[in-house]
Amino acid sequence: MNQTIEELHELLKEKKITSQELVQESLKKSHEVQEKYNAFVTILDEAKATEITDNPLSGIPFGIKDNYSTKDILSTGSSNTLKDYIPIFTATAVEKLLNAGAIPVNKTVLDEFGMGGTGTSGHTGIVLNPWDPTRMCAGSSAGSACAVASGVYPYALGSDTGDSIRKPAAYCGIVGYKPTYGMISRYGVFPFASSLDHCGVLTRSVADAAIVVDNMKGIDPQDMTSWDSKDLHLYEHVKDDVKGLHCCYIKELCNIESYPNPTEELKSHLENFKNKLELCKELGIEIEEVSVDSALLEALPSVYVAISCAEATSNMSNLTGLIFGPRGEGNNVFEMMMNHRTHGFSPLIKRRFVIGSYILQKENQERYFKNAQRVRRLLVDTWKKLFETYDAVILPVGTGPAKHLDGDKDILSHDTEVLEEHLQIGNFGGFPSITLPDGFINNLPVALNITGNCYNDETVLKIAYALESKMNYKNQIAKEGK
Amino acid sequence: MKFTSELVDDLAAKLLIGLSKEENQMVLDEFNIIDENLSKVENIENIKNVTPMTHCLDDFTFTLRGDETTESITVEDALRNCKKTEGREVEVPKVVGGDN
Repeated sequence: MNQTIEELHELLKEKKITSQELVQESLKKSHEVQEKYNAFVTILDEAKATEITDNPLSGIPFGIKDNYSTKDILSTGSSNTLKDYIPIFTATAVEKLLNAGAIPVNKTVLDEFGMGGTGTSGHTGIVLNPWDPTRMCAGSSAGSACAVASGVYPYALGSDTGDSIRKPAAYCGIVGYKPTYGMISRYGVFPFASSLDHCGVLTRSVADAAIVVDNMKGIDPQDMTSWDSKDLHLYEHVKDDVKGLHCCYIKELCNIESYPNPTEELKSHLENFKNKLELCKELGIEIEEVSVDSALLEALPSVYVAISCAEATSNMSNLTGLIFGPRGEGNNVFEMMMNHRTHGFSPLIKRRFVIGSYILQKENQERYFKNAQRVRRLLVDTWKKLFETYDAVILPVGTGPAKHLDGDKDILSHDTEVLEEHLQIGNFGGFPSITLPDGFINNLPVALNITGNCYNDETVLKIAYALESKMNYKNQIAKEGK
Repeated sequence: MKFTSELVDDLAAKLLIGLSKEENQMVLDEFNIIDENLSKVENIENIKNVTPMTHCLDDFTFTLRGDETTESITVEDALRNCKKTEGREVEVPKVVGGDN
């Protein structure tokens, strides 16, 4: 299980290992990881081997974030409001993997309904970082990141509304890829903010990410925002030459002078990032520094909160506890719903819903919701303008390695740094975006991100693959106190 | 805008959500930050002339499904996760009239 999909497929085809052996190893590892890091809501001990075909995913175990519906398998969204919910259908993305012969072995913990960035708000408890259990995995795809980094399997599914695949991948030293919006059907994935929600995958190599998304993508009549991507062949082009491509980084985010009181971690992180830009140049990629409007960047975190909370509030109105989920107590339906929601939701998502409700009140829509959507367009237009000149934007992820569990409370504060939040622009524009490990600070992994224009997933992946090939972090397995 | 804990409780009540004192304060604190940040947005030149962006892909063409009968779920499946049912229906306390 410490190997890539490419390697495992070869071993399976040559009959050096069997699918059954992989399943048993993955389940054994799942229980160990659960004991140490609390990464799973459900471990599927009855998982069975599948036939080995030409599909590279056949016979190989994987994990499913617990906001993907899985027929006859508990699917909670890591919320008490769905703690006993068993779907009657399977999400399209999962169905496609099952058809490819892939084997789900567990459902992974997330921040409740994906609405958090710490991996601490799931109803089954906090997910610990496998590099250092005093630190967070980030979220919301915390369990998936933890499990892939721990070597439970080569990949797990994630969803990404702000940075929920890409930030946990960074904190856990692995690859996190969200393709262009709508490339993967969202049918059967619990919605958070529909205009920002993306499906994607966490892996330990860029090529593996390409293989998995090749198998997940495709137009789906059940998701009217999905589109036909049959002409995109991610794995086929992942090793293509990158010489002559143009990339840029944003001065306001990457220069240490932008930060009045930088920590040593931030200094090291940005210095390490700049060193990796030199590797890009060695690959023949032209790198340029560009400048964008600081006022737009500074508005980003609040704009994201405004849009995501408003959409979340609309999406969660069906959580009543009457038709599914545990029933609340009360003498009438209103008391029952009040009881269900008050005791079912964690404080963090209650806050999201209340903020969303305020923003959606008729008298507030213009000032908050519409203005947030206007800034969204300005930011996306700024990035689209960059993509007229550059094939991708390369930026560091976050302000350094994984944060301590007793630090970040996942709430906006005056000192929220745009550097922590800039991946949200990828969701605003639906841009293909991949995070990959680019070094270590204090024995903890750090990462960079590559984002390109919509539909240019092949370009984004080949840049990531080329850069990964110049570094030593491909397929790394987490070790405590490395 | 002056945000108060009463306003927060009122918004929560509209959503049928009860908040503790701490939860109320948490929302209140964040309201102030969002308000302050989005106030700055109003200073961006010509912001009112920008068309709000409601979805990711501007070039997207929605394809409606054909008006054809497709596979449906059974009543038993639809009620499978419901805790209280009566025949083909979800059972809840009486909504109109009566003591409850």
